[in-house]
Amino acid sequence: MLSIIAKRKYYYTFSLACVVTAVVFLIIWGFKMGIDFTGGSLMEVSFQETARPSVQEISGALTDLSNLGEVTIQPIGENNIILRFRNVTEIEHQEVLDKLIEQFTPGQRLDIKTTTTPVQIEGLVSGEANVTGIKAEKAAGARIIEERFDSIGPTVGQELKTKSFYAVIIVIIAIIAFIAWSFRKVGRPVSSWKYGVTAIIALVHDVTITCGIFALLGHFYNVEINTPFIAALLTVLGYSVNDTIVVFDRIRENLHRHQGDFEEIVNMSVNQTMIRSVNTSLTVMLTLLAIFLFGGETIRYFALTLMVGVFFGTYSSIFVASSLLVTWQNLVKKFAK
Amino acid sequence: MKFSSLAKIRLGVLGVLIIAIFAGFLVYPIAFDRPMDWLNSKLGLALPHYWQLPFHLGLDLQGGTHLVYKADISQVPEADINDAVAGVRDVIERRINVFGVAEPVVQTGKSGDQWQVIVELAGVKDVNQAIKMIGETPLLEFKEQADPSTQTLTADEQKQLDEFNAAAKKKAEDILKEVLKTPLVQFGDLAEKYSEDGSAAGGGSLDWAKQGIFVAEFEQAAFALKKGQVTKQLVKTQFGYHIIYKEDERGEGDSQEVKASHILIKTKTAAEFKPQEQFVYTGLTGKQLKRSQVQFDPNTQVPEVSLEFNDEGKDLFAEITKKNVNKIVGIFLDGEPISLPKVNEPILDGKAVISGSFTLPEAKLLAQRLNAGALPVPIELIAQQTVGATLGNDSVQKSLFAGLLGLLAVVVFMLLYYRLPGLLSVIALLIYSVLALTIFKIFGITLTLAGIAGFILSLGIAVDANVLVFERLKEEFRAGRPLSSAIDEAFKRAWPSIRDGNASTLITCIILFWFTSSMVKGFALTLSIGILVSIFTAMVVTRGLLKTIAVGRVQNWYFLFNRKKVVEQKPQS
Repeated sequence: MLSIIAKRKYYYTFSLACVVTAVVFLIIWGFKMGIDFTGGSLMEVSFQETARPSVQEISGALTDLSNLGEVTIQPIGENNIILRFRNVTEIEHQEVLDKLIEQFTPGQRLDIKTTTTPVQIEGLVSGEANVTGIKAEKAAGARIIEERFDSIGPTVGQELKTKSFYAVIIVIIAIIAFIAWSFRKVGRPVSSWKYGVTAIIALVHDVTITCGIFALLGHFYNVEINTPFIAALLTVLGYSVNDTIVVFDRIRENLHRHQGDFEEIVNMSVNQTMIRSVNTSLTVMLTLLAIFLFGGETIRYFALTLMVGVFFGTYSSIFVASSLLVTWQNLVKKFAK
Repeated sequence: MKFSSLAKIRLGVLGVLIIAIFAGFLVYPIAFDRPMDWLNSKLGLALPHYWQLPFHLGLDLQGGTHLVYKADISQVPEADINDAVAGVRDVIERRINVFGVAEPVVQTGKSGDQWQVIVELAGVKDVNQAIKMIGETPLLEFKEQADPSTQTLTADEQKQLDEFNAAAKKKAEDILKEVLKTPLVQFGDLAEKYSEDGSAAGGGSLDWAKQGIFVAEFEQAAFALKKGQVTKQLVKTQFGYHIIYKEDERGEGDSQEVKASHILIKTKTAAEFKPQEQFVYTGLTGKQLKRSQVQFDPNTQVPEVSLEFNDEGKDLFAEITKKNVNKIVGIFLDGEPISLPKVNEPILDGKAVISGSFTLPEAKLLAQRLNAGALPVPIELIAQQTVGATLGNDSVQKSLFAGLLGLLAVVVFMLLYYRLPGLLSVIALLIYSVLALTIFKIFGITLTLAGIAGFILSLGIAVDANVLVFERLKEEFRAGRPLSSAIDEAFKRAWPSIRDGNASTLITCIILFWFTSSMVKGFALTLSIGILVSIFTAMVVTRGLLKTIAVGRVQNWYFLFNRKKVVEQKPQS
């Protein structure tokens, strides 16, 4: 049997270092918020006399403009494409347009003159909209026409933010309550609500570190936080608690069957569940790694978030959560004397 | 613990397998249709195709409809515009979520000077109904009485007004010329033809009037005229330009009366030109509405609709009622005043009552509509287009391929590590996936990236349940139990942790589902379905399969169970 719990100082040091670093990253850099949260610009272009390129081709054409951040590309109508990206300056806006023309309708270059005259938008806003547009002087030939360039608000509304925040608070309370209830027969020597609180500490640990890593990625690789990231964080939340409960369940069972020192029983339980914890996260990680390596561009960071979260979720349920139970128990004993 | 007989278990397993095969065809009908087509072409039969039921894919995976609404913020002060438009956004989102169109994209937009709300809905089938639902969203506003001094004409409007009045003057002058040319007996005819007030029908004739009846300018002119005379100049009053003909007079001094006819060409005052807004925007709208209910007036038993504001609305309502004690604060529904109660004292609890003359069904309908969300400003649909997926088809295909690759890795791992039980758990996982996907299809659950994340997590949890059981199985082997009772014991012991782990995740899901909307809700839904199905497949299907197969000689093939032959096996009964 491995002596795991006895070495808890090392895990605490490691975890604390990770959490503190994560918090520091979050404070210094924060998240690089994507347009789902900040809003940005919406640009609609139509492809005239030429086949509309695929979403991938357009995405490829815009990769050079790396400071544009994440661009959401969406076909609309028959010939048009909607691009959503962060708020840009007029120069950057023209760069995007130039890039598209250069890639898909290079012939247009010679014929067009960039103007800032309002352009009639067919079938949409009734003409009074003040849209900066490109006017093709020569009517024939493949060309790209900008149909509208508007500013847009976030897709994550205040209501969803507020509600999700409260929901997460309620979730935390509910989990503590559920674990306390489920472990109610384990009064000895640690009261059951402490299992709940410990599970939540492990959860906060996992989520904080995952967030910290994304602050880092955002700073160095322009990885943006968008709605999929939130879905991934929620997944980590579910996984972390689930994983911790499995270890606690073993402690509960062993406390019933064996007499002995609490620390020894916890250590035994962690050993017994170790293979299961590793195997389970290994299988999940295998799936996620495949998605990260071979999956589409758009969900790569989604998979990465999950990988980071699952890794730390497994680590914390083996090394941190159970150790915390022992530390807590020892502190209680010390002060009881 | 007592378990049902082997025959029963085998029957159950067979049942599950048959259901899984049917469900499998539903998930992937081509697997059924292709062989049928082949048989049809070879044997000349007309075998039918399988039930075709598509997945409901979300906006990010499939695209849908792009709607642009224009928000009319003409009544809203500059500083409140952002808030009002954001309010429209939230209300529409709530509205669409009630309707069940999963995970819409709703965002505010600004095109030039125009404020918009962009709505994207997955799929196109129910779009017209969705549009209708959004269109039916009530517009609820609380307005206070206007302070007239704040309302002035713009330079443009003043110019238009001046032009209108100048035209009136010109017209009156022309008529005056005509009157002066015509014999006076025909004054009545001309009045009938030209005059713009109610007296025209009676030839412009007015009643006998003492002093103090007419407006000052009119009276002065009328009394100054002699009997049978017409004014030589236009008389300007607040109503416009008059041409007065004095028909008769009687009496002396204070009791002097005149009988006159007139032709009036109306002008407009600033107030007439731009009708004053009696009620103005207060910022308190449907956006701050928390709940609405039907109740009855305790005295008259007439149904009324009670409104309860959220915290923001409560403060705002308190402020408004404080400011407007003894004045009227109007409650407007869809732009019409529905109730104009007078404020007796400030209302601090954030509760109001609409006491129109409702019938009970009307009151119920209104409360229902208000509960589904009420708009802060009017909106108008200005564009509707079809949009494609944001994730792009290539990306989806690639990710699906990657997901399958990952699953294959899991299968290989399970087979190598757990051998026969591993194989059975792979079968159970396959059944799990098929059942979960069938539920998604049959109940039309919209799959988006977030929803798929929920599914992947539940898949991980499903694998975990099997791993938990198999690890227990190994322990029971080490303790020297025979296979059959080891299986029972392993499932029995693994159950509390599977139950508690899943219960905690399920609690999380229920709370997220209840309290949030859009993406978070979709995630919670697929995860909960996945968890419920995974408990079933792990605890029932895997166990059934194991017990079905692990009988007789199989029990002695230790290799299949990755079991070491260290313990003497008890004789089989």
